[in-house]
Amino acid sequence: MSSTEAPAPSLGKVLITGGCGFLGSHIVSLVVKRHPQTQIHVLDLRTSNNRHSSPTVSYHDGDITDAAALSAILLKIKPDSVIHTASPHFNLGKELHYQVNVEGTKNMVKAAQDAGVKAFIYTSSASVIYDPDVELNNADETWPMVAGDRQPEYYTSTKVWAETAVLSANRTPATFLTCAIRPAGIIGEGDVQILPKMVTALRKKQTKFQVGDNNNLFDFTYVENIAHGHLLALQALIHTHKILPTIPLDSERVDGEAFFITNGQPTYFWDFARYVWHEAGDTLPLSSVWHLSADFAHVIGAVLEWVFWVMGKTPNLTRQQVKYSTMKKYYSIDKAKRRLGYSPLVDLDEGVRRGVRFILEREAEEQQKKGQ
Amino acid sequence: MVSPLSLLYYTVHPQELRSIIQWKVWHNPVHERNEREEPESLKRCFFFLDMTSRSFSAVIKELHPELLVPVCLFYLILRGLDTIEDDMTIPLEKKEPILRDFDNIIEKDGWTFNDNGPNEKDRQLLVEFNVVVEHFKKIKPAYQVIIKDITKRMGNGMADYCNNAEFNVNGVDTVADYELYCHYVAGLVGEGCTRLFVEAGLANPALLKRPELMESMGQFLQQVNIIRDIKEDLDDKRRFWPKEIWSKHVTNFEDLFKPENKQLALDCSSEMILTALTRADDCLYYLAGLKEQSVFNFCAIPQSMAVATLDVCFQNHDIFKKNVKITKGAACQLMVESTQNLRLVCDVFKKYVRSIHQKNNPHDPNFLKISIACGKVEQFIESIFPSQEKPKDLKSPATAEAAEKVKLEKQESRWDMIYMGLAVAITLLIITGSMLFVAWMAGARFDIAFTQAKSELGALFGSVQGGIEDVSDASGHSEL
Repeated sequence: MSSTEAPAPSLGKVLITGGCGFLGSHIVSLVVKRHPQTQIHVLDLRTSNNRHSSPTVSYHDGDITDAAALSAILLKIKPDSVIHTASPHFNLGKELHYQVNVEGTKNMVKAAQDAGVKAFIYTSSASVIYDPDVELNNADETWPMVAGDRQPEYYTSTKVWAETAVLSANRTPATFLTCAIRPAGIIGEGDVQILPKMVTALRKKQTKFQVGDNNNLFDFTYVENIAHGHLLALQALIHTHKILPTIPLDSERVDGEAFFITNGQPTYFWDFARYVWHEAGDTLPLSSVWHLSADFAHVIGAVLEWVFWVMGKTPNLTRQQVKYSTMKKYYSIDKAKRRLGYSPLVDLDEGVRRGVRFILEREAEEQQKKGQ
Repeated sequence: MVSPLSLLYYTVHPQELRSIIQWKVWHNPVHERNEREEPESLKRCFFFLDMTSRSFSAVIKELHPELLVPVCLFYLILRGLDTIEDDMTIPLEKKEPILRDFDNIIEKDGWTFNDNGPNEKDRQLLVEFNVVVEHFKKIKPAYQVIIKDITKRMGNGMADYCNNAEFNVNGVDTVADYELYCHYVAGLVGEGCTRLFVEAGLANPALLKRPELMESMGQFLQQVNIIRDIKEDLDDKRRFWPKEIWSKHVTNFEDLFKPENKQLALDCSSEMILTALTRADDCLYYLAGLKEQSVFNFCAIPQSMAVATLDVCFQNHDIFKKNVKITKGAACQLMVESTQNLRLVCDVFKKYVRSIHQKNNPHDPNFLKISIACGKVEQFIESIFPSQEKPKDLKSPATAEAAEKVKLEKQESRWDMIYMGLAVAITLLIITGSMLFVAWMAGARFDIAFTQAKSELGALFGSVQGGIEDVSDASGHSEL
């Protein structure tokens, strides 16, 4: 946690793609805070949201699926390093996932190689090792990635292919270093996937039920910790670059490697949800919660799915949700601790508090607008 | 001895009764004390051990012969120190020098102490303390050095607390003070025992390089006792729960015990339990460093009891009204499970940690922190005893192109199969056809063969009688 205290040295010129997105904007903020001398260039499809006011940050509109335009931008900026976080929303179509995650990432790698970039960090996903038939108990980076036919989520397959493309480009040319960060369950201010969905469930009064025995541990991570992991990886690559052509020991190596980054505080799935609900104002005592067994809920989910399918809708309880809320999904971050010196800056409970407060403030603003 | 109430209890909990019987019948000590060769004065030491210790005497007496006497004496010396510190009838100016000098006292031949108040339950130990001194001087010098060092530091720590007026009036102030107090009375014991184990070659010397582990062993036990004994200590006018914690929930310490503050008191107790629980994974880590069974049992039994006690105290308002204990049956079950191997002790921890987590109240101020502390223990256990094997690498396609290729290949091979099947079918058809044609050219009567086959089928499924008639008829016809 010492790294937040004194302003650290400049990282040179850093290009952050997706820097107006949820994670990207938090990375921008952390670089500004921790390395104030660093020149930051943000590349995003639209740069109107989440703009940082610091004069050290400049914004560039651009589409990473356009290889020629991308090359031109990188040749103009000539960044020392790239943090590539841009990725489409999980709910968007297959085609777009492929275009942005796979083609876009390859374009980025190519453009970075051509522009003489030294360090390239790719934001992958902890789900790259997700296999529907296997539970993730304290999984580490030696677990195999799952893509293609065995991978139920096409989005995840595209992340696997992008990560593979980035890591196999490591040291080609010899001065181009890459690594991948695999975050798990990102939450925080501006999160659009996890916390808002849970708060919506509370508003719909769906907190009375819980599925399974709630002994399944799950990893969630506060966004600033993920940003911190990215910066540590970047610093490590810059250091490795300095000692070129020496190659670090296998046990210390960062370039060409992938790292899980979590809060290191796996929590029982429903405990996490109940904490979010409590923070959002829920007062339901635990004794009034209905506990459904996983098998029973699975049957109900199947029935509901059929009934709603006939009506052309999606039910509140689906088999996939049952599976998701009863599976174990947590990781070991020992590798990041050892090689990156990573440890979370913000505890999970504080992270949830900040994220939920952010949502409640938005809700209040909406209410006010409606009232006027 | 057996009260009707407990009789009733065990009728409804036969599992616990079974554990008691199992422990009493099947437990064989790893090592047994050889009483016949012990001199009278040493027997007296063991007599005092039984007298002063309820929970530890059994495990100490089963220790490896190398450590049996040193650990017994270590215990008695600390018990003597404690008896002087605890006794409020001894004036401070008399008490303090004894506490500070106790490490020398244990080497003074014939030293005894008769000034304890008549109600001090362990006063007889000090009255005959010469037997402890006598045998302390006979143990290996290396053990003497360790015991002396710990005695010196603990005696000075206790003297500091006796001198601290603030502590005597208001109890423990900050969490740091609380942990420092637990360090003097328990963390140091953890250090002393660890050094004795390593010196005897019965534990991994690496344990000495991770002092936080042995500290946690002592802290965990002591903190659990302090949590459990909250009511008893209040009645004795002592306060060990730090003000830094209780003041977050109530204004006056006594408010914790008022029935109208039930929820606040529970919230406060869960914060205390959380503080202890964060040490649990260290304790398991420590146990992994022990090599010898009796030493393992000696350390593991109290830890298992502590985690189970933590569980009965969690979200239990009774701790503010009476002394809450685990049942005898549960204790025996724990002893059975704690005297085998680390894996079973981990199972015990997992069971109680999950029980704590299931009782966790979402509206408790430390709800998520408690959940995380439980998760941390589970993750640690998973890291030393993985519950699943790493999945086999099924060589997922590394690129989209490769995935596409795999898909195409699969499709291709499916069509290959279809083509192959078709080719075989057509070939068979042609061969059969041409054979039939040749046969027909040669004068084969397919019409007869057909009716015959039909009638045979009929015979098979229909009446036997009709079948025979049909056949004779058909054959007669062919003769014409």
